Amino acid sequence: MLLFRSEEHIDRWCKAWRLTRGGVLSIDQAWKLADAWYRERMSPNWRRRTVDEAHELFASLGLTSDFWRFS
Amino acid sequence: MASDFSNRVRLRLYELFVERGSCPSKAQVAASLGCSVNEIAKAFDELAAAHMLVLQPGSGEVLMANPLSAVPTPFVVQTGASHNPRSWYGNCIWDALGVIAMLQGDGRVLSSCGCCGESMTVSARRGEVSCEPPGLVHFALPARHWWDDIVFN
Repeated sequence: MLLFRSEEHIDRWCKAWRLTRGGVLSIDQAWKLADAWYRERMSPNWRRRTVDEAHELFASLGLTSDFWRFS
Repeated sequence: MASDFSNRVRLRLYELFVERGSCPSKAQVAASLGCSVNEIAKAFDELAAAHMLVLQPGSGEVLMANPLSAVPTPFVVQTGASHNPRSWYGNCIWDALGVIAMLQGDGRVLSSCGCCGESMTVSARRGEVSCEPPGLVHFALPARHWWDDIVFN
């Protein structure tokens, strides 16, 4: 997951790597995703999210396309 | 699902990483928990199989204790007060922001545009995030393929 200046720079990078464009997040979305995903990582009670829980988190950030599904 | 012992090892690994500012070795985690290096190696293997750690292929030492990277990356994270600054590496921009979230304070990520290399800084302060110059985050691989090649991802 990389940082880019703009949509145009993402497209240029994808073309150079011969990749189709993936998922694009605003900085605010990326922060909210990182915060939800990692905030409790050092807690003794932390456990991996289930697939359904991960899908719920993505959906709460508007990430509902097939790209954001684990299965 | 990791065993109770592996979960203890995982937690101690993270605690040592944050206390020291660098990733502890298997031997250092073993000494800290009063057990053998072999027991730690087995726990690391179990955690890696559960996608809770990523190990270096040759040594079996930790490569990624997500969101932290054990090795230098292009995602430098700065946290802590000005009189006691701390510095970390994230595995990607998501993880770099995750380091700030996990340490539950303010911080910033020093990185660059994946295309042109222009310097970019993402700052998180009191729960608000900003990027200078403005930018976007791109996930190249769909979620179902994230663990196919976690180092590329």
